[in-house]
Amino acid sequence: MKRALQIFVWTALAIVAAAALATIALHRGEAISATWFVLAAVCSYLVAYRVYSAFIAAKLLALDNTRATPAERRDDGRDFVPTNKWVLFGHHFAAIAGPGPLVGPTLAAQFGYLPGTLWLIAGAAFAGCVQDFVILFCSIRRDGKTIGEMAREEVSKRGGFIAQLAVLAIMIILLGVVALVIVNALKSSPWATFTLATTIPIALLLGVYLRFIRPGRVLEASVVGVALVLFGVVAGQWVANSPGWSRAFTLSGVALTFAIIVYGFAASALPVWLLLAPRDYLSAFIKAGAIFSLAAGIFLVRPHVLMPPLTRFVDGNGPVFAGKIFPFCFITIACGAISGFHSLISSGTTPKMIQREQHARFIGYGAMLLESFVGVMAMVAACAMTPGVYFAINSPSQIVGAAPETAAETISSWGYPLSAATMANLAHSVGEQTLWNRAGGAPSLAVGMAQIFSTTIGGERLLSIWYHFAIMFEALFILTVLDAGTRVGRFMIQELGGRVWKPFGRLNWYPAILLSSAIIVAAWGYFLYQGVKDPLGGINSLWPLFGIANQLLAAVALVVATTILLKMGRLKWIWVTLLPMVWIVVITMTASYEKIFSSNPRIGFLAFANTLTAQIAAGTIAGAKVGETQRVVFNQRLDAVVTAALAFMILVLLVEAIFQWHSILSRGKEPVLHETPYVATQWAEGD
Amino acid sequence: MPTLRSALQEAAAGFWRGLRQWCGDSSYEIYKEYTTRNGQPVLSPSQFYVEQLNKKYSRPNRCC
Repeated sequence: MKRALQIFVWTALAIVAAAALATIALHRGEAISATWFVLAAVCSYLVAYRVYSAFIAAKLLALDNTRATPAERRDDGRDFVPTNKWVLFGHHFAAIAGPGPLVGPTLAAQFGYLPGTLWLIAGAAFAGCVQDFVILFCSIRRDGKTIGEMAREEVSKRGGFIAQLAVLAIMIILLGVVALVIVNALKSSPWATFTLATTIPIALLLGVYLRFIRPGRVLEASVVGVALVLFGVVAGQWVANSPGWSRAFTLSGVALTFAIIVYGFAASALPVWLLLAPRDYLSAFIKAGAIFSLAAGIFLVRPHVLMPPLTRFVDGNGPVFAGKIFPFCFITIACGAISGFHSLISSGTTPKMIQREQHARFIGYGAMLLESFVGVMAMVAACAMTPGVYFAINSPSQIVGAAPETAAETISSWGYPLSAATMANLAHSVGEQTLWNRAGGAPSLAVGMAQIFSTTIGGERLLSIWYHFAIMFEALFILTVLDAGTRVGRFMIQELGGRVWKPFGRLNWYPAILLSSAIIVAAWGYFLYQGVKDPLGGINSLWPLFGIANQLLAAVALVVATTILLKMGRLKWIWVTLLPMVWIVVITMTASYEKIFSSNPRIGFLAFANTLTAQIAAGTIAGAKVGETQRVVFNQRLDAVVTAALAFMILVLLVEAIFQWHSILSRGKEPVLHETPYVATQWAEGD
Repeated sequence: MPTLRSALQEAAAGFWRGLRQWCGDSSYEIYKEYTTRNGQPVLSPSQFYVEQLNKKYSRPNRCC
């Protein structure tokens, strides 16, 4: 009877998921309620978790609760600490959830809501969650080894080196791109700039408190810190309304670029307890609060999605970024569907804290489903605003025109009616001077979030406060990734440099700290600067580059996972990791090819460089602009080389792996699995 | 049979414990309990805090 009821409930959920997906896919004409998106996503996730993850756990991985995990065998009260599965789920989710699932779907909304939403749901269920879950399992069975170590041991030494290079490459590109998102959100906005600037002294204050006054008392310090940050959001309005202060905090893109570069250097070189860690605490609490509030807001308001399912920009000529749905939708939305970066987290702290092998399903697969849901909410928030407004905020002036009237006319001619007065009123009501040409996704997401929040609390009166709260949340989020990433990048550079000259690898030697910090900051700062100066707005070039780098790492993770599963003799179910791996390789290689060789100058780096070179040769570029244009040409060629290098790394790793697979399958050599030996758990079943 | 009040109290206490563990507020207590049990020398709260942070932020721990 109980079993029959279970079958009935899960069948009903599957039918609701299918019906909701069909509704959002086939809907045409009028606006559609966001409830359908929530239903489609939540029911699909529940069914995927109940059916697919259970199948993977039982058949592919054969999770074994009688086997002691590293947290039990090597419990040291520090790194290896057995942790409650709900707490560890929270840890893992806080680590994997970055700005990617918010920004990616917002940018991909230019295709309409449908391609991105389907990719978010299906990509997570069949690729992203699988990658996170399987890598977590592999790392648990290897005492918490990293993806690089597993690649070196299980694939080849070269594979391990490629994984290490891929991590460094993705780190540099990622930091440049996310910094560009902040610059585009803060430029010419004294309110937002002031609010974000206040988080630095607040973090320093918290750092001193947590180090000297009440060591490690994170909760009480964070409560005070969050209250101060929220006060900073309100105080930003006073700054924006004061002519003198407003001038001081109105910064250009270039000025913000240098401010962020200096900040990144300081966060990397200063002791970690002073700035980086306390900012991370603030960010974690505000992130959890804002994501929960957004979910609650969408449930309460149930906004209508005004963006059509497919826009005219499926043809590849989108103003936000150029390129067709395939492959560009799949690399623009990385983190909400599949993100290679997650494999670093799944093979980092989490495997050292897990109590039972069975918990890997809930933590690895489940946390990624939640991240995907964040992406769906971001898609809803972006698509709930008028399409004309969405395109006005996200399109660079070189495409729509610099004057508001011209830009409004261009966007209206695309079939998305808009007037310059609408944008002026919207900017005024959110407390900004302008909302035109703010590519990067953050401002449009903030407008969408503010509209949802203000419908729940405060109405039009609080729209500006909510907008700046959302901007602060996104920027704080991103700065945390920026400073933590810069520090890790510094360690990687010191490790690499230490192989050449030993003293450079000493983590407490200040000249090495300063030099390696300068190298990593200069590397991502270069990409940031080129993005700020890019005539097409920067996001058009750099976000796809970031997507390619991130998916390259996903390909590395899935290659490692497939190799390990083959060695374990799971040939029958190998398609579980093999198919997503093939898909990721195909989209990454196609996107790389198009970004390098496409003849469309808005897509191909080389075509754009050649167009500009021809314009310089023809004398159509003003004399004063020739030097700047030559720098853009150089940057485009550099981006082409970087993309080619990333694609080459995938190919080398694939060839290495295929040789391994061939020798395993042809029984040319006995597969050597580097698992830690089985040790029976000493814990009772309910522990 | 547990009353509603005691069930709520238990749930709130569980939530509080989980929250403290999630944000690292109770890390030192866990560490101290472990080292005392095993007769190992115990670091001061401040030393332990800095040691933990240095480890945590030397590897990727925040995703994109």
